[in-house]
Amino acid sequence: MNDLDLATTWFLSARAMACGGDEPSASEEAAAGLFARAILGLDEDACIEAKSSEHMHAMTLIDCMSLAGSLPRGTADQVMTGVMMIAYAAASMQPLQVRWASMLASAMDMTEERFQRCCVNARVVASMLPHEEELDGA
Amino acid sequence: MPESNFDFLEKYDNRVAHLAAQAEAYVHSDPDSSLFKLRLMVEVMARTLVELNASHLVDADLSTMLRSLQSSGLLTRREADDMHSIRRDGNAAVHGHESSTPTALRRLRDAWRLSRWYARTVKRGAKVDPPPFSPPPPPRESRAQQEARRKAEALEEAAEQRRSRTRAALLLFGDHDDVGAMRWRLRGELRALEGVAVAAGEPVVDADFVALVMAMDLEQILEHPSWGHSSGEAKTKVESQFQAFKVAHEAAEQEYLQTRSEIVREARTQGDG
Repeated sequence: MNDLDLATTWFLSARAMACGGDEPSASEEAAAGLFARAILGLDEDACIEAKSSEHMHAMTLIDCMSLAGSLPRGTADQVMTGVMMIAYAAASMQPLQVRWASMLASAMDMTEERFQRCCVNARVVASMLPHEEELDGA
Repeated sequence: MPESNFDFLEKYDNRVAHLAAQAEAYVHSDPDSSLFKLRLMVEVMARTLVELNASHLVDADLSTMLRSLQSSGLLTRREADDMHSIRRDGNAAVHGHESSTPTALRRLRDAWRLSRWYARTVKRGAKVDPPPFSPPPPPRESRAQQEARRKAEALEEAAEQRRSRTRAALLLFGDHDDVGAMRWRLRGELRALEGVAVAAGEPVVDADFVALVMAMDLEQILEHPSWGHSSGEAKTKVESQFQAFKVAHEAAEQEYLQTRSEIVREARTQGDG
């Protein structure tokens, strides 16, 4: 899978998770991009292109699940970790968010054990998110 | 023509108007002082807004106040970005990084935009319609100084573009995205998926189920040696990944500050000569 597809999968998954809850907060927004750059290792070009209106408008959540299903296992785990990080960063989860995490996990053919491991990592990442002032200028 | 671009602010907040006018007066002669004043102006604005909305944070530092105002919805992303830019460049000036006039002018323009918004916010319903921003005219400059200024402007433009790309890559939604419409569309798709899942016999997700997922004491389960690594190791790894990103970002900013200092020093030498 190329970087654009991974960035698309990530940002669509993350947007769905953020939108499944209350109004996305500034911290959820910042966490999503930081995760893409620092943990998934995506470059700026891939992140920007994936979020372009033309690209995003052509994609549905079904497309997202299809892309998620083709991710290598390690990358799929990272994406799931990030999706759960958004819930932990907001310290709340709503039914649509639980359903989205569950459907994404199914699309990734994830076992309960793998999912739990992703949740642990998500908690760790959420607790480590730097404050905005640490990224001055961005 | 008004004496200052910030004259209109006088009747809304005299202190803020005074600081802005001082920043404007120093923009060509002493950009460091101009940025100090703008930084202070933002701090006064933030404190006033916090007093109105979250008085328990009134003694917090500026970035905490800005974060709180943003999460309360009082500051939109645009205003928060302008305030953070002024804070960042004001802090750099305070810490001894030599500032250039193009940097101070950009922040002055941001401050003018912020001032209009601020006046409307503190005096709800007030009609605030100042004349368009007019950059303070530059003093007479030698050819060499004009050249140094052009270099500083080009550097500033490149730095703004770099920051803007970094920011665009980091945000979940773009500045031009209609977040409300996107949210509505995605929630519609999520509800449709929910319907399919329930029709297929999946359990209904309700508040109790959600509470259970969030409350699971996962770390205890996963600290077991059979998992291969502990949450402590995961923490160390994440820390290093965030740190690597932060270091790369800071290096770009440091390079910009250094180049700016060199240009300022060069201009000063030519001015002295």
